[in-house]
Amino acid sequence: MLGASSVEMRKVNKYYDNFQALKDIDLSIPPGKVTCLIGPSGSGKSTLLRCINFLEEYDSGEVRIDGQLIGYDAPNKKMSGRRLREMRRSIGMVFQQFNLWPHMTARENVAEGLVRVRRLSKADADRRAGEALAKVGLADKSASHPSRLSGGQQQRVAIARAIAMEPKLMLFDEPTSALDPELVGEVLSVMRTLAGEGMTMVVVTHEMGFAAHVADQVGFMEKGELVSVASPDRILHHPEDARIQSFLRTYHERNSF
Amino acid sequence: MEWSVLQQYGPSLLKGFGNTILCWALGTVFGMALGLVIALIQRYAPRWVTWIVQAYIEVIRGTPFLVQLFVLYYGGPLVGLRLDALPAGLLGLTIYGSPYFAEIFRSGFRAVPDGQIEAARAIGMSESDIVRRILLPLGLVSALPALVNFSIILTKETVILSIITVPELLYQVQRMSAETFRYVEANLVLALFFWGLVETISRVGLRLEARITKHLIERT
Amino acid sequence: MFSLAVFFQSFGPLFWAARYTLLISVLGIGLGILIGTLICAARLSPYPPLRRFAAVWVSFLRGVPLLVQLLVFYYALPVIGLDVPAMVAAVVTVGICASAYISEIWRGAIAALPKGQAEAAVAIGMTPVDVWTRVILPQAVTLSLPALINELILLVKASSLVSVVGILEITRASQAQAATTFRPLEVYIAAACIYLLINLCLAALGRYLEHRTAV
Repeated sequence: MLGASSVEMRKVNKYYDNFQALKDIDLSIPPGKVTCLIGPSGSGKSTLLRCINFLEEYDSGEVRIDGQLIGYDAPNKKMSGRRLREMRRSIGMVFQQFNLWPHMTARENVAEGLVRVRRLSKADADRRAGEALAKVGLADKSASHPSRLSGGQQQRVAIARAIAMEPKLMLFDEPTSALDPELVGEVLSVMRTLAGEGMTMVVVTHEMGFAAHVADQVGFMEKGELVSVASPDRILHHPEDARIQSFLRTYHERNSF
Repeated sequence: MEWSVLQQYGPSLLKGFGNTILCWALGTVFGMALGLVIALIQRYAPRWVTWIVQAYIEVIRGTPFLVQLFVLYYGGPLVGLRLDALPAGLLGLTIYGSPYFAEIFRSGFRAVPDGQIEAARAIGMSESDIVRRILLPLGLVSALPALVNFSIILTKETVILSIITVPELLYQVQRMSAETFRYVEANLVLALFFWGLVETISRVGLRLEARITKHLIERT
Repeated sequence: MFSLAVFFQSFGPLFWAARYTLLISVLGIGLGILIGTLICAARLSPYPPLRRFAAVWVSFLRGVPLLVQLLVFYYALPVIGLDVPAMVAAVVTVGICASAYISEIWRGAIAALPKGQAEAAVAIGMTPVDVWTRVILPQAVTLSLPALINELILLVKASSLVSVVGILEITRASQAQAATTFRPLEVYIAAACIYLLINLCLAALGRYLEHRTAV
C-alpha cells in the first residue's frame, strides 16, 4: 500500500441553522487501520464522515489529513476550490446510493476520474480501470451500464472507481444499507480485502459483524456526540455506556430470530 | 378547388416552406444554445448577474412575440441595428425561445440526483468537468421531452414572422390568396403543412428519446 | 438616440388601446372556459364519437397557429357569405382556440385528483352528479387556477395578433403611433411595457389566488 493517510479531528462542530449536528468531536484515525462508526440514525455518523473530505462543511474545529488542514487554510478562511480538489484526489468515497453515473459503462465510470482528474491518457485510464474492475471481481461487466447491474455489482464498481484513483484513505458511507441482504456479502468481502492490504478506512455501517471482525477501532455516536471510541471487543461485546448497551439491545432484537 | 393554382405557385410555396423550416430549425438551435447559457448562468453566477438574467426572462416572457419583432425590425435601425427581415426574424425567434428553453434546462439540471454530482466532487473533479461530463448529459436527457414539446410550439410561432415580411410559408400563402382569391386551397396547404411538421417532429422526438434513454432505464 | 419624450407620450394612446386588449382577452377566456368545459365533458364522456370529436377539436386547434385561425375567420368567412365585424371574429377565434387549451387544463386537473376523492363520495352514497359538482369540479377548478391565469397571460400576449384584422388594440395602436412619430423604437418599447405591466399584475394575481386557495 502506497502510504496510508491518517486523519485527526479536533473539536469539530457542525450546525444546521440552530440544530447542532456534531458536538465537539475528537477522533483519531490511525493510518492503515479500519475505523467503524456505529450508532442510531440521525446520530451524525454520516455527517462526520463527510466532513473528512469536506462534502459537509464543518463550522469549527480542525480536520487534518496527514497533518494538513482540509476545507480551511486558517480558521474562517475557506480553502480554495483547487486545493480542496487536490486533497480529495487522495481520498476515495463510497456512497450508500452508489452514485454511479448512469450514462457511462462500468469501465467508463471507473476511468472517468483517471482521465479528468489524474490526467491519464485514455488508453492508460482504460487499462487501470480494467485492473480495478478485475480486483473487485467484475472484469466481465466492464462494458455494462449501471442499469444492467445488481446493487451489489454497482457498489463494487463504485469501490473500483474509488480505488482506481489510488487513494490513501477510503470513506464508506453505509455502503451496504441500500442492498438486498444476499448482495451484502460480496461488497463486504471486497472491503475486507482492501483492509487486509493496509488501506486506511473509515466505515459508517450497521453491519456489526464487519465491525466486530474487521475493524481496528469502533466509534459509537449518538445525537451528534462521539460517545466512545475503543476496540471492537470493548464497544460491541462489553460496552460500559448505557447508551451503547441500549443501542445494541435494539439491534440484537431486530436481527436475531 | 383549383389545383392548377397550387402548380403555379408551387415554387414560391416551396420557398416559403423552406424558409419556415430554416427559421424554425435555426431558431430552435440558437434558442436552445442561448437558453442553456442562461440556465448555467442562473446556476453558477453571482447574485447580481442572475438578477439581470431574471429581468430579461420576465420581459421576454411577459411581452408578445410580435411586439418583440417590431422592436427588433422596425425599432432596431434607430439604434444602428439594421437587419433584413429573415435575420431579424431569426434573432427574434432565438430571443423569444431562450427563456423557455432556459427554464426547461433548469428543470433538467434539478432532475440530476445530487448524489451523482457529489460522487464527482468526491473524486476531485473540477466544476467545469462536472458540468460537461455529468450535469449536461444527464440534464439534457431529462429535458428532452420538454425540449421537443417547446420546439413544436416554436413551429407555430414562425407564422408570426410573416408580419414583418419574412418570406416563410404563411407569407407566400397570403400572397397567393391575395392574388388569386383562392382561400380554400391556401388554408389547406397551411393546415396540412403544419399538421405534417408537428407529427414529424413528435415522432422523431420520441425515437430520439428512446435511443438516448436506452441505457438509463433499469431492467429489473 | 432614445427619445424619452416620445416614449412617455405613447403611453396615453396605448393605455387607451389597452382596453381592447383586455376586452378581447377576458371575453376570449370566458368563451374559452364555456366551450372548453363542454369539450372536456365530451372528451371524458362514454360515447366514442363524442370523444373522437373532442380529441380532434383539441389537436386541430392546438396544431394550427392562432394567426392562421384569425386569418381564416376574417378573410375566408365573407367568401362563404358570413360577414362579421372584426371584433366578433377576433373574440370568437381567440375563444375557440383557448377552449382547446382549457379543455386540456381541466382534463389534467381532474386526472391529478386522487382517485380516493371520488371513491369516498360514492362510498357515502352521493349521486354521480353530486360527486361531480360537489367534490370533483371544485377541487379541479382550484387545482387549475394557476394554469388558468397562465392561459390568460398567454391570451393577453396572443391578442397582439388580432392587430392583423384591424382591431385597435395595443399593437395596432402602436403601429399607428410609430407611423406618426417616426420613432418605432420608443413606441414599440412603450407597448411592450404596457403588456409587461398587465402580465405582471396577472402573475401577481395568480400568486395571490394560489396563496388563498392553498390546501
